Amino acid sequence: MSKLTEDQARELAAHVVALTQADQAEAVVFSHDSSLTRFAANRIHQNVAETDTRVSVRAVTGTRTGVASTNILDGETLSECCAAAVAAASSAPKDPKFSGLPSPEPVETPRRASETAESFTPERRAETVRAIVSHSTSDSLSAAGSVASELQVVAVANSLGTGVAMAVSSLRATVLSMGDGDHGGAGWASYFGADQTGLDPDSLGDRAAALALRSRDPVDMEPGKYSVVLAPEAVAEILSFLGYLGFSARAVDEGRSFMSDRLGESIMSEAITIVDDAWAPESFGLTFDFEGCPKKRAPLIENGVAIGPVTDSYWAGRSGRKNTGHALPAPNHLGPVPLDLQIKPGRESMDSLVATVERGVYVTRFHYVNAEDPVTVTLTGMTRDGTFLIEDGAVTKPLKNQRFTQSAVIALNEVLGVTLEREFFETMIGTALAPGLLIQSWDFTGQTT
Amino acid sequence: MRDLVLAAVDAAMLAGARYADARVVDSRQESVSVTDGRVEAVESGESLGLGVRVIADGSWGFASTSEASTEAASRIGLEAVKLARAASLVSGAPVELSPVETYDAMWSGPCEIDPFGVPLEDKIALLLEADRIMRAEPAVKLTKAHLGFYREHKFFASSEGSCIEQRHTESGGGLVAHAIGNGEMLTRSYPNSHGGNWLQGGYEVITAFDLPAHASRVAEEAAALLTAAPCPSGKTNLIIDDSQLALQVHESIGHPAELDRVLGDEAAFAGTSFLSLNDLDRLRYGSRLVNVTADSTVPGSLGSFAFDDEGVPAQRDHIVREGLLTGFLTSRESARLIGRTSNGCMRADGWNRIPLVRMTTVSLEPGTWSIDELIADTDDGLYVETNKSWSIDDKRLNFQFACEIGWEIKNGELGRIVKSPNYTGITPEFWNSCDAVCSRDHWQVWGLPNCGKGEPLQVAHVAHGASPARFRDVRTGVGR
Repeated sequence: MSKLTEDQARELAAHVVALTQADQAEAVVFSHDSSLTRFAANRIHQNVAETDTRVSVRAVTGTRTGVASTNILDGETLSECCAAAVAAASSAPKDPKFSGLPSPEPVETPRRASETAESFTPERRAETVRAIVSHSTSDSLSAAGSVASELQVVAVANSLGTGVAMAVSSLRATVLSMGDGDHGGAGWASYFGADQTGLDPDSLGDRAAALALRSRDPVDMEPGKYSVVLAPEAVAEILSFLGYLGFSARAVDEGRSFMSDRLGESIMSEAITIVDDAWAPESFGLTFDFEGCPKKRAPLIENGVAIGPVTDSYWAGRSGRKNTGHALPAPNHLGPVPLDLQIKPGRESMDSLVATVERGVYVTRFHYVNAEDPVTVTLTGMTRDGTFLIEDGAVTKPLKNQRFTQSAVIALNEVLGVTLEREFFETMIGTALAPGLLIQSWDFTGQTT
Repeated sequence: MRDLVLAAVDAAMLAGARYADARVVDSRQESVSVTDGRVEAVESGESLGLGVRVIADGSWGFASTSEASTEAASRIGLEAVKLARAASLVSGAPVELSPVETYDAMWSGPCEIDPFGVPLEDKIALLLEADRIMRAEPAVKLTKAHLGFYREHKFFASSEGSCIEQRHTESGGGLVAHAIGNGEMLTRSYPNSHGGNWLQGGYEVITAFDLPAHASRVAEEAAALLTAAPCPSGKTNLIIDDSQLALQVHESIGHPAELDRVLGDEAAFAGTSFLSLNDLDRLRYGSRLVNVTADSTVPGSLGSFAFDDEGVPAQRDHIVREGLLTGFLTSRESARLIGRTSNGCMRADGWNRIPLVRMTTVSLEPGTWSIDELIADTDDGLYVETNKSWSIDDKRLNFQFACEIGWEIKNGELGRIVKSPNYTGITPEFWNSCDAVCSRDHWQVWGLPNCGKGEPLQVAHVAHGASPARFRDVRTGVGR
């Protein structure tokens, strides 16, 4: 059971707003139960559980704001927390660009907390792990990964009348299957859903083990520019960097986004349409942001044309745009960020993409990606867990893990094909619904030994 | 606090645990940041909770709660035993721990001026002054300045009889100037990027940074980068400043030397290590100038404490001695596998996380050169400062770092500025190419408050001492 119900969380948020002696006040309540079973070398080595409820208060005095938070929920501590937020606001200079907290808007909160997620006991998680690792042990491989579930309740209230709450659940399972030191080889599979309905441990374990066997004895590849077929999980990682670095109104208005001064221009391939949509059928996250505003479907790139960024109340007010409902919890150093990104599907299959490549590289997923240039979203990172050479339209040899140094914006301007089938992933910040992509040129700049 | 941890340990042992330890952690933080002349955030927070870790049926279990009562403590003691028993359904060899003495001790880290007692108005005024100076440079279009403070009070008890209470305070801050133009954003930071520098201590740490005194230089260098030449591509002699070298040590020595990684426990998330148990006392990690220690006794470092989160005393241990791999970062469980006792590297990110093998202060020990001598001794090369981005493969072999700024070295002198220099290499080849390390006069401890590891993710506060060093034939200007 989650520590607080939606009603309890909504009431707590409203209570904290009432306690705050300021011109305006906002409270966000985060309450969750989380559990995670971690395995490596075909055995469980970590089994953990956590329960916590945190309250964050934003006090507004004129155009000044301050934030304080606590997970100690007795009356005295909550009052002290509210007073700390007011004191912080009182210490800050005026911000004439702050126009106050957002007014209430109707928010639909569909039921997205699965009852079956609550029955995912430690014993069920252990059974899941046993099924996953059995496919590695039978092939003398070593499996590592995790099976995790979370029930979370978020409530937002403010002194203008906002009062929303929603419960969401999630379940994530990953498996890395590895060969021995002589032959190497590694394979990966993952699942991310609202509950265990779509989780097939045998399939996960089998896919990872098969990929590990297929990627044994990898060969060298000369650095250079190659056509690349990115599997959906690799695309999801690239998409998350675009969202984090470029799709925020703050980044656009501060001139540090690839969309700055280019709205309305074609900046990517016509095959690329990117939207942020918390209402997509695959989504199971919150339908309001951390100011309690409804998340609106936000077209970002349409057939390669830069449409516009996401906003929150502050950056909407500053830029004259509409509030798209993409606020992060205050105080927010990033500005508004899209958390429910997706790329529109194409018509291809992964096989049909590979079939068109004369010589190129197939990438299952990336590792440790980081941005060298935030404006062009020039990223460097490694491939891992299944990198293959494509020759004459077929996957031929496994490759050693490759380093790339590549602008994601330029790459998405050279898309030759998009798959119909998409997969849903948790990313470093939010989620991504991503297809596979064929990209004409991708700069591989080194490889591991 | 003592009542809570003892209740949790007692409940776990009564439920059949073979071993149990518990930690109450009460933490407080404050952060203040300004951007472009306005206050971006004034925030404070506190967190209190209890975690209990047990061995039952040969496996680990861990449960935690933010409810600070003996009833809740007893409940999670039982829950941890249930979790351990569930883990044992898919178990390996039973968990065994290397021995440690029991301690009844208290420790407090350094703090001369309580940072939480300094008025917010003073902190904001300091940042706005530094921000104002940076914005005087016309090419600088975006500025940030920030301060942060963290205090932790922790109580640990184990079923073996240890009761340990520890308190420490951390302070950090920095400046960032972004020059934006021609579709580029070039950045300079002080005293370091990605959150500035952090040390254990009070507001005296911030005073010593003297942020306003460095604001003008930071802004001027950011502006100069807009018109600077791109980093040349090719192989060169690379001199790396101490702040960037601290991160190089972190990624390519600290992480691969974590014994849980070597054993594969992190494989599916952050990766493994190119090191194996057989490499101990055999692998030539670097040149004979490369000496690396893991030291949790360095005064004022983020990596310092009196006891780790298993109750193991702080200590200094050589990981690399004269280029030879001589040690790993260990826990009580993993140390036993190499026939040693723990060197005290188990640390948890708060009450709700299980301890993992983490870095303490993992340092490249100083050499003998002065930075002026080192540049004068370099006919042709590149000197780089301040990290911009980092990436390394899942075995910690192939790395690529970008820095904020570089200077060409020609005939023993610094030449023109180059923008966004990056370099790449393979870990042991790189460290074996080290032919000069600067002296203790140039050696500094850099705090990294953002080291991610583990599932659920844990963010550790670690540190690295380093002085500038030179590496031969390093590939730079990658992808340029």
